[in-house]
Amino acid sequence: MGEPAALRAMRSGDANARTSPTGRLRERDAIGSSIAVRDAVKRYGSFHAVDRISIDIEPGEFITLLGPSGSGKTTLLNLVAGFQSLDSGEILVDGKPVHNVPTHKRGFGMVFQSYALFPNMTVSQNVAFPLRMAGVDRATAERRVAETLEIMRLTEHATKSPSQMSGGQQQRVAIARAIVRRPKVVLMDEPLSALDRRLREQIQIEIRDLHRTIGSTILFVTHDQGEALTMSDRIAVLNAGKIVQIGRPVDIYRHPSDRFVASFVGESNLIEAEILQKRGSTLTMKSRAGYVFNAESRDTIDVGRATVLVRPERIAVSNEPTANSAPVSVTSSIFLGEILRIEAQMEGGEPLLIRCTDMADRPLPNVGDRLHVSWGAADCWVLA
Amino acid sequence: MTSASFGVQAERPADLDLLRRLRDPALLLLPALAFLAFIYLLPLIDLIRISVSGPSWTSYFERVFAIPLYWDSLVRTMQISVTVAVLCLLFGYPTALLIHRSRGITQALIATAIVLPYFIAILIRTYAWMVLLGRNGPVNKLLVSIGILSEPAQLLFNRGTVLLGMTAVLLPLMVLTIYSSVARLDQSLTRAALASGAGPIAAFWRVMLPLTLPGMGAGFLLVFVAAIGFFITPTLLGEPGDQMFAMHITQQADSVTSEGFLQALGVVLLTITLAVVAVAGRFLGFEFIWGGRKLTEATPRTTDRHAADVGRRSLGASAADVIGWPLLRLFGRLPASFGTWTVRLMGGLVIAILILPIIVVMIISFSSASYLTFPPPGFSLRWYEQFFSDSNWMRAFWTSLVVAAMSAGIAIVLGASAALGIVRSSIRGKSTIMLLLVSPIIVPPVVLGLSLYSLFLRFDMVGSVFGLAAAHAIGGLPLVVVILCASLQGVDARLEQAAAVHGASSLTVFRLVTLPAIMPGLAAATFFAFLHSFDELVLTLFLSSAELKTLPLMLWGDVNYRLNPVLAVVSTLEVLLVVAGLVLARPVLATSRKAT
Repeated sequence: MGEPAALRAMRSGDANARTSPTGRLRERDAIGSSIAVRDAVKRYGSFHAVDRISIDIEPGEFITLLGPSGSGKTTLLNLVAGFQSLDSGEILVDGKPVHNVPTHKRGFGMVFQSYALFPNMTVSQNVAFPLRMAGVDRATAERRVAETLEIMRLTEHATKSPSQMSGGQQQRVAIARAIVRRPKVVLMDEPLSALDRRLREQIQIEIRDLHRTIGSTILFVTHDQGEALTMSDRIAVLNAGKIVQIGRPVDIYRHPSDRFVASFVGESNLIEAEILQKRGSTLTMKSRAGYVFNAESRDTIDVGRATVLVRPERIAVSNEPTANSAPVSVTSSIFLGEILRIEAQMEGGEPLLIRCTDMADRPLPNVGDRLHVSWGAADCWVLA
Repeated sequence: MTSASFGVQAERPADLDLLRRLRDPALLLLPALAFLAFIYLLPLIDLIRISVSGPSWTSYFERVFAIPLYWDSLVRTMQISVTVAVLCLLFGYPTALLIHRSRGITQALIATAIVLPYFIAILIRTYAWMVLLGRNGPVNKLLVSIGILSEPAQLLFNRGTVLLGMTAVLLPLMVLTIYSSVARLDQSLTRAALASGAGPIAAFWRVMLPLTLPGMGAGFLLVFVAAIGFFITPTLLGEPGDQMFAMHITQQADSVTSEGFLQALGVVLLTITLAVVAVAGRFLGFEFIWGGRKLTEATPRTTDRHAADVGRRSLGASAADVIGWPLLRLFGRLPASFGTWTVRLMGGLVIAILILPIIVVMIISFSSASYLTFPPPGFSLRWYEQFFSDSNWMRAFWTSLVVAAMSAGIAIVLGASAALGIVRSSIRGKSTIMLLLVSPIIVPPVVLGLSLYSLFLRFDMVGSVFGLAAAHAIGGLPLVVVILCASLQGVDARLEQAAAVHGASSLTVFRLVTLPAIMPGLAAATFFAFLHSFDELVLTLFLSSAELKTLPLMLWGDVNYRLNPVLAVVSTLEVLLVVAGLVLARPVLATSRKAT
């Protein structure tokens, strides 16, 4: 899975970058809150679930906490929600500390993985719940519920019981409940992981569009990198209780800070190579298989060995040798529809994963075929 | 040729059909059903027959309702039972919440404090209260020493002690019933309420309480039904004039002249019990009796019921809206920790009420004094010596062991086979059969004892070890069936299919996959069936003879005549037995709780 979604995400990420995300952010300032986490620590015994995490979230930003299970992303969300209390550090919302404010007084909206719809209430009662708790009068509450149900296209389900609805519908009710108060902050704890893939992708788009409409700050937790790339303004990648990297999806994908991020987000070829020479920001490198290539890098690296990331879709493939190409032999070839997924072995032993678009003039390679691969300096990213 | 092959073809399907029928798991239900029909249903039907065998069919009943003594007692029984059920609910709910909210070792300790008393004989727990509240007991000593009383007072033998004793005895049942319904709730529901701006009290009122209402109802009714038939606790703790209905039955049972009238008393008690259960089952589903989920049976009625649920729910919700919101705003002004502290205080009180009497009795068993007094003047093992050197006590102890072992054997064989039949067959009316198998839990033991007495007289089984074991197995059977049904439903059907696909015969599948999976359940069921018989007193009162005395029977005799520390020794031994059993069964309890 992942790659087509990731590609699409990249493309839309590019589009966003071009149409100036800051412009969009400014529009939302009116509604969302800023969230600042400073040196947050949460321990369970000797295990540091959250280990001195600091993060600044802009007002109206859609930020995703991405990480494998046990990385501390859900604990961090629970700390922001107030379900758990910090061992040390602080959490500020719009500059005011909230870590001593009980959950129900923080005024957030939240969507849960298990939907957590109250089974003893109908859809509209569920959605009205936060308004009633806020003491909104009945008439206003009814109007707001009707509006919200309409936004989520649930109007005809208003009187149903949650148990009579499908998973996707239930999650839309849960989202409606979370946004009905127009909260400045909406927390989402893996809200889509219980849904099947098609529905998940559809609701991803719905949540993105919704975010643009309501402008709340959204803190979204997921372990699905494709989801994170699709939806976020920025992604914070967590591992072992720390934030490893934080940045726009396109930066995370193209310029991961280390091997963990490189292999957790998207598919990757990590090639060990020796640095032969450095000219400006361009390194000339030699892989163990003896393939010599150029790579763009940060200026911190100059000599010795380094790991180079080459994304599978950046590798150019041809049947005949080209300038500076290296021969590989195909070990596996899978037709995925719009894309071919080829596993190959460089002479000298390094395995390569290649993705290329399906084209009419390119026959499907067979196992054992010889191909010639190459990549340019801009297609590589040298990891620290 | 043609005709021969025709013949073969005609015969084979019939053969297969017969074979298939013999393999039908539903047949496994037969032994248990036959057992219950003979020793449980037949006597009850006989009881009803005798009760209507007067000059006219109503004549015995007319007498029951015409004598103020019985009518008053019936009203009193209802009052006491309702009060006890209300008290249990009031204190049981916070305790269930306390278990649910605590974590780790604290949770384990609190849960043990509730579960342990649940498995200790009612007689022993009542005796502990007699010790606690007696003239030389710790409560009197404490009140005198802090100057509230000038001299020890008679705290026992009044309505208050009956209510206290019965509430204490029945609290674990309430707590466990409510806990299972609280624990089943998705934890994120409460979080969702909090995140939606509901304070802890509002979240409790609007989400927790409505969703655990069925659990509360089940707990209330189980306690109420048990209280109606109560006999041991009110006899020991109440004043002589304050009799409950079941006590009249045992008293009348001694006189032969009251044949017919006696049975009518029993039928009245039985009818009330069954009526309450029937009404409750209509609303809650009869599963509330054994605290289980609905058996998988595709009945069209469920959808109807669901639709009705929605209607009733919105009615209830609007009622909650009208009364609830003003109340909520009022409560909302209380500090947020108010609810937490209420739960802790009430839960703590419950734990104290359940555990303190047991601890006091255990301490007293090591007393060096020749009479009951607390704190003991010194410590010795003299009462243990006396218990183990008294041939009467030892004989009763062995009798109890033998009876309990036999009874557990009967219950486990019949129950295991019945549980397989229930879970694995696809016959119609499963719920009804399950209800029949479990119903002995509901029938007041006094009524059961009375009905069995006539049966045992007729077959000359009074005083027979096997007869007594079989009678005890009536109550052990439901425990085994409930536990094993849960275990069997927990067995992953795919594992069995996997074994079968890879060439295991159905018997091999059972031996290699099913049996190991239900083994813990089987062990727990055996232990509980054993304990049920070991603790049983009421049936034994009816069915034993001078030669056949069980431990509870000896205890009963002594409690009524001389309250000495030997009883504390027996109680301590029983507590140790239960503790040992629970420790052994702990992994099982954890898994079977997951399964239900």
